[in-house]
Amino acid sequence: MGSERTREGLVGYGFVALPMAFFLLFFIVPIGYAFYISRYNWQIFKGPFVGWGNYRTLYHDSVFWTHAVRNTLVYTAFVVPLQMALGLTLAVVVNQSIRFRTFFRAAFYFPSLAASAAIAAIATYILASDGLFNTVLHHLGYHHSNAWFAQQSTALPSIIGLNAWTTSGTMMLFYLAALQAIPVDVYEAAAIDGAGAWRTFRKITFPLLKPGHFFVAVVSVIGAVQMFDQSFLIGGASGGPNYSTLTTVLYLYNQAIGNIKFGYAAAVGVVLFAFIFTVTLIQRLLFGKAEVA
Amino acid sequence: MGVGAEGIPPVPALETEAAVDAVRTGIPGRERSERFRTMLAYAVMFLVAALFAIPFLWSVSTSFRTLADTVAGFSLLPRHWTTSGYHEAFHTFNFGRYTLNSAIIAGAITLSNLVLASIGGYAFARLKFPGREVLFMLVLGTLMIPDQLRLVPIYLMLVNWIPAWVGHLGWHNASFVNRNGVILIQLVSATSLFLMRQYFLTIPRDLEEAAKLDAAGYFKTYRKVMLPLAGPALAAVGILTFQGTWNALFWPAVLLQDKTQFTIPIGIANFVGAYQTNWPPLMAASVLAIVPILVIFVLFQRHFVAGVASAGVKG
Repeated sequence: MGSERTREGLVGYGFVALPMAFFLLFFIVPIGYAFYISRYNWQIFKGPFVGWGNYRTLYHDSVFWTHAVRNTLVYTAFVVPLQMALGLTLAVVVNQSIRFRTFFRAAFYFPSLAASAAIAAIATYILASDGLFNTVLHHLGYHHSNAWFAQQSTALPSIIGLNAWTTSGTMMLFYLAALQAIPVDVYEAAAIDGAGAWRTFRKITFPLLKPGHFFVAVVSVIGAVQMFDQSFLIGGASGGPNYSTLTTVLYLYNQAIGNIKFGYAAAVGVVLFAFIFTVTLIQRLLFGKAEVA
Repeated sequence: MGVGAEGIPPVPALETEAAVDAVRTGIPGRERSERFRTMLAYAVMFLVAALFAIPFLWSVSTSFRTLADTVAGFSLLPRHWTTSGYHEAFHTFNFGRYTLNSAIIAGAITLSNLVLASIGGYAFARLKFPGREVLFMLVLGTLMIPDQLRLVPIYLMLVNWIPAWVGHLGWHNASFVNRNGVILIQLVSATSLFLMRQYFLTIPRDLEEAAKLDAAGYFKTYRKVMLPLAGPALAAVGILTFQGTWNALFWPAVLLQDKTQFTIPIGIANFVGAYQTNWPPLMAASVLAIVPILVIFVLFQRHFVAGVASAGVKG
């Protein structure tokens, strides 16, 4: 029996060896390596050791703070509540016993599945100066002749609207799982008490969704502070026009791939990681473990 | 229904249904107002669904237009139907090549995820070995490590370390700042491994006991007993991985520098920057990016929802 257990153990290690080597090499090692790189003036080749030099430079980097960080925080502050509200509304709607329920769920979820590049291209087209959106506005008596993504004042708000729409389907699915975890008898009791639909939602559904709210909020915030795709696609690598769509991750990408400042970019990465990690930790301590059901 | 239910005690024989109707329609005029509310709800939902669909339909419509048609004022359908947008996308702007590249990258990563996650998931679910739980927590922990932290170290590893290592194995001057690198760094994901393990945990043990009596080895048990039962989990992993890598922008943007290796998303990003207002081929490229995922979604909707829901519960 002993040898059989040894054999089982060895086979077990053998079966997980490749995935574990992979996770070690491409996830665990990069944490330490990123910090190591960040302590050097590392451009195309490894340069001299600079200690905290890159971090000091970052501390005084006005483009990073006044554009990248500011835009990312503004984006997060607006997109998270929007995503949650939209996701919850859609979930409540498709959770009713209605006909074509499967169709509606699919229709609302699909934008979450389509390639961000395709959606951004379509949005650029629709929000162009002579695009569909301005045409509709024109017929409603509101004249707007600029491309929404090309103007400094409207670029980021337009991206916020776009992403609230595309991600609402995913948030809907999470909320749907949370809604279905609420026991039916709670609603039966409310119905007997003669509570109306809105009252039932406000007094029963919404408070009972607390674990769901928390989970969706965490997923949404973590996604928002890492926003990259739409800025890269719409604002270009520089996050234009005039840095108005520059996010922290896009800034890091630029420093590394555009300017070949690997040491500096690594420092940006370490700071962002520390930030996300702290936020996650605080949320966990405050609200306990995230659970949908 | 419910006619005469007001005030009249239900006939005992018809008790069940009639009683329910009596409760529902007990208040005069309630039935009509409810029907009105239901219709309103449907109208709102179809309107919202239409709003969700309009951007896609509009891009399809434009993909069949001529360039002149796109600036000639509003028309719902193309004034002159043409496939020249697709022709241009394929031949002038190389999206035929990009589609192939996307398929190769997404296909290779999906295949490797299916193999590695199912073998690993089986071991984590069924085989006992010291440190198993710690290793699995480590796997889940990788979900907390954001891509931006990994960008620089992985880029430098693919430039310096990996080519040196494979050089020792006799493969000289290999480069990984390309398609190979994109595939290599996504061979398996924690989500895939997690989904497979959770599924294997639900399979009854008696089936393996029978295989054990047969003196079948662990690999044979995995392949002949477990794998054939894991259809739904394999479908979820395969679909989620394919969809994710087909759409992906971040790692291809970091690693694909040679135009002949671009994927559709990178091709679109490049196009938007360079030829912004040549809409028909751009919309054709967007349709190309979306349609395969739409087809998979329509065919396997169940698995999408199941996969996202269970991947989300990992907490």
